[in-house]
Amino acid sequence: MLQVVLLFAWTLVIVFLAFLACNFEDQESDIGSQSNPNSMVQLAPQVGQIHRFFNKAISGEPISNALYCGTAGMVTWITLSWLEPLVPDAKWKAAVVAIPMGLLASSMIHTIFATTAHCGRIAAQKRFQQPIYLDVFYGHLLPIATHGFMTTFCIICIAYFQSNIGYLAGGGVNSPMNHPFALPLLAFIWGITVGSIGSSTGDVHYGTEREFQDRPFGEGKRVIYHGRITRYADCGIRTQKDIAGFCCKFGGPCTGLTFGFIILLEDWRTLVGMKLAGFLTALPGITRAEQMYIPQGDMAAIWGIILGLIIIAAWIVINMIFVKWIRAKCGPFVGP
Amino acid sequence: MAIEPELIYIVVYVTIGGVLGSLAAHLCPVGGAPAAMGTATGIATGTIQILLGAVVTGLFTAATVSTFTNNIVLVMISGAVGATIMMQVTMFFANILYGFGCGITPTSGRVAVDPITKADQTSYKTPQTDGHGIPDVVFISGTLGGFSGGAGGALMYYTLLHYAHFTYGTAVIAALGIFVASAIIASYNIRGTIEGFQDPKFKRVHLALIPTVVISILCSLVVVIATIALRGA
Repeated sequence: MLQVVLLFAWTLVIVFLAFLACNFEDQESDIGSQSNPNSMVQLAPQVGQIHRFFNKAISGEPISNALYCGTAGMVTWITLSWLEPLVPDAKWKAAVVAIPMGLLASSMIHTIFATTAHCGRIAAQKRFQQPIYLDVFYGHLLPIATHGFMTTFCIICIAYFQSNIGYLAGGGVNSPMNHPFALPLLAFIWGITVGSIGSSTGDVHYGTEREFQDRPFGEGKRVIYHGRITRYADCGIRTQKDIAGFCCKFGGPCTGLTFGFIILLEDWRTLVGMKLAGFLTALPGITRAEQMYIPQGDMAAIWGIILGLIIIAAWIVINMIFVKWIRAKCGPFVGP
Repeated sequence: MAIEPELIYIVVYVTIGGVLGSLAAHLCPVGGAPAAMGTATGIATGTIQILLGAVVTGLFTAATVSTFTNNIVLVMISGAVGATIMMQVTMFFANILYGFGCGITPTSGRVAVDPITKADQTSYKTPQTDGHGIPDVVFISGTLGGFSGGAGGALMYYTLLHYAHFTYGTAVIAALGIFVASAIIASYNIRGTIEGFQDPKFKRVHLALIPTVVISILCSLVVVIATIALRGA
């Protein structure tokens, strides 16, 4: 019997996992320099700044996270299809074994890509006398794999819960509340999203603040600064471990909040729309094919849209208030 | 051979979806790598990266909604709203990071005065940069871009689900693929960064819409061939 309160409860678990996922995604792109701030790490040797950064940059973050999460999702799903028939009364036991196996495969691939990316990129800068520091290379591979593991773990758990949410809420194995996408596809989609968000938000803390920490706080980084990254700092010659330790205090949690809020506002309002339209009470005894044609379905979509439009208007107002406040607090630009 | 109306719908709706996607790429504020260093206004990532993220979020919501309604308008707007919320939350938290993490005020580098709030932009801009952060007009432009992109993606998804009779998973992957093709053509037109509809580069949007129409028609013809072949099988 589908329990509505469990549906909402599992959604909140998914929101919490989303917060962790994007937090670790930003950390993963900090512990092995990736995406847009890595353009400065790439530029540094060309302007004479030899560095000890880990120039990972496998690809853009959405695509690389789609790779890790899609691979893990695929292996998890295949393993689940083997193991679930063995434990028909307790499907969660299959998940406890299958999810780590998927993550193992994904972590191995991640490590391979990190190796080839760093070695290839630094080797191409031989003409600028940039060496491949083997201690930097060896010392960062495990932290990179770990952060990627945590991101992928959270995303795979989200995908597992979403593809089984009706079942987890008591609605039966083939509950129509289960998301229609298979687990690998959900993992792929959320991998793209988590990479996109991490690239847009968390990279700012790394690229603008930590990478140019010897430049004045409170101004955009001028074009003449580009490539001249901070290499000597609080603990000697800086590496990615110093970067990640700094960005985990603000950039990571902010990025996690972004994805958490997005999942909350998407999944929660869809469920609230279903509840307001009476769709959830009309659901028992209906198959997935039939549920498209009941009138409560249209009303559930309409309520979800109304809530969404209210949320959109609210964010516009919130941003306007914040922009006005930060401009009043910081004031116009002063200085050379 | 009689051409069924469903096949015409596939071509028309996929083309409209592609055009909406191309328009979204021009409306979304993209600062690229310079924005990640506070050197340009906009979201600190590439055009395709942010659009992909927004559209898959919209497609996820559209797919959920498509399980309990078969109304094309509701599915389309649900996808649009989902993508818009994703863009807005991302832009807002980017502003939080710029403001608290770097001490940078949001300001535009392409206009001297915000067209919506009439706030001065030039006096807040760091010299030798092209603006930084996500000011109000850029936020509004991003909102519209998210709405347009989500609507286009959801429309393509609905068409592939109900008229091409693909399964849920195949429909979303195919819709994403066709959408990305349209968005990439738009990103060639943008050539790096764009702040939104107030940016002078936005006046060139018609140059991207024409190749987008061609690409979308070609992709929809492939879908039509697949539909006929799958139906025969």
